[in-house]
Amino acid sequence: MASSANSNPVPKLYRSVIEDVISEVRELFLDEGVDEQVLLELKTLWENKLLQSKAVEGFHTEEQAALQAAQQQQQQQQQVQQVQQVQQVTQPAQAQQVILPPPPQQAPQQQVIVQDSKILQHMSATGMSAAATAATLALPAGVAPYQQLITSQGQILQVVRAPNGTQYIIQQPQQQILLQQQMQPGGVQAPVIQQVLAPLQGGLPQQTGVIIQPQQIVLASGNKVQGNAQVMQAAGMAQQPGQPTTTAALVQQLQQAQGAAAPQAQPQAQAQAQQQAQPQAQPQPQTQQPPMMLQVDGTGDTSSEEDEDEEEEYDEDDEEEKDKDGGEDGQVEEEPLNSGDDVSDEEDQELFDTENVVVCQYDKIHRSKNKWKFHLKDGIMNLNGRDYVFSKAIGDAEW
Amino acid sequence: MAYQLYRNTTLGNSLQESLDELIQTQQITPQLALQVLLQFDKAINTALANRVRNRVNFRGSLNTYRFCDNVWTFVLNDVEFREVTDLVKVDKVKIVACDGKSESTQNKVDK
Repeated sequence: MASSANSNPVPKLYRSVIEDVISEVRELFLDEGVDEQVLLELKTLWENKLLQSKAVEGFHTEEQAALQAAQQQQQQQQQVQQVQQVQQVTQPAQAQQVILPPPPQQAPQQQVIVQDSKILQHMSATGMSAAATAATLALPAGVAPYQQLITSQGQILQVVRAPNGTQYIIQQPQQQILLQQQMQPGGVQAPVIQQVLAPLQGGLPQQTGVIIQPQQIVLASGNKVQGNAQVMQAAGMAQQPGQPTTTAALVQQLQQAQGAAAPQAQPQAQAQAQQQAQPQAQPQPQTQQPPMMLQVDGTGDTSSEEDEDEEEEYDEDDEEEKDKDGGEDGQVEEEPLNSGDDVSDEEDQELFDTENVVVCQYDKIHRSKNKWKFHLKDGIMNLNGRDYVFSKAIGDAEW
Repeated sequence: MAYQLYRNTTLGNSLQESLDELIQTQQITPQLALQVLLQFDKAINTALANRVRNRVNFRGSLNTYRFCDNVWTFVLNDVEFREVTDLVKVDKVKIVACDGKSESTQNKVDK
């Protein structure tokens, strides 16, 4: 935060407005029977969007300030933000665990076996210190617990940071009994964890990570460790039979991937499929090609789409809407022919990056011949992407 | 009833987007979202009137002006905004200004 004499009033103002609105609206939410959690989520979303817009300088909460410092150390900013939302939705009383500097030595991998059921009894419970967590989880050296989170389903997640900056999320099952029962056979789980944790220590790509969303597992970019991280998830998730169906379906998929010799192709395909599913929904279908029509007005036209597009372009109301949908299609062909015919100032509207806007109230607007004087008040300005406020503004302009 | 003027600002838009997301996931009703926005209008109007105390000067050339429904809309070019601390220059700015004299009379007919 800047400690200069002229501090920016904008963040404080925004913060106070947010607090006012949230507290005033709390009653409304309760009257409607909406949970307080939703109110907190609204606040979080609101603040995050303000942060993302970068329109305000020095706008952050205390929690986010600490997390931002941590984010800059890690390269997975998108994933951490999603994790943050989960974290902030849950009780903020959950202590943020201090980031432990990873110990430099690397323990042999066999020591990582988690088979002792007694150790597992300590695995539940919130409020475990990071050191205790590391010990009980028998994490490989260099993988330090970073944060403890509780998802909306009540599972405890352990966010773990490896020495080269990668971050993993390990699910901690809450039920000790299940753990004991399933760990006693031992044979399946332990070697899995062994296998899983083995590659963690060597040559990790820096952008690998796993995100748990309440109903989905989304894999970010990654290489071979992706498959193993999935396996880790499957190992954790297999211990909770009571999961909702979507998660169970994913677990099944993951377990199949686990069984495969080279699980890497499948998870990557799954991740890519998931990622592709999203962009596929986004691009709007291009305009259908109209039936061919006879043209009597001259040769040289490329297609009959032009007739429709010409009509659209002359209609100023439709320009802004349709041109964005169909214009990408038709305008590429048309530009050489009709680009000079447009009278509208649609180009100006398209060209602006940040439309500089001032929203305010006027005290007095005065004009003398072509000299205008403006007396304005109580305004919010967005200039060159940044926000400003004023209680009074006086201006001159010539028309 | 306070001006809804400030909804199209960074603060207002981020609030509207957040509310829209909650409506999408059906965590709140559109009616409730509207109530929140009305509350926001009140809060921002009050905050601007009471908690902000600074002056800005600006100079530029007037491209267009419009006065309709007691709302002035200007588009200025090559404008310099000057505060005590700093100077901001923009090529184009749009100013939307509601009547500051009778702020709480949005629905009242002026005589």
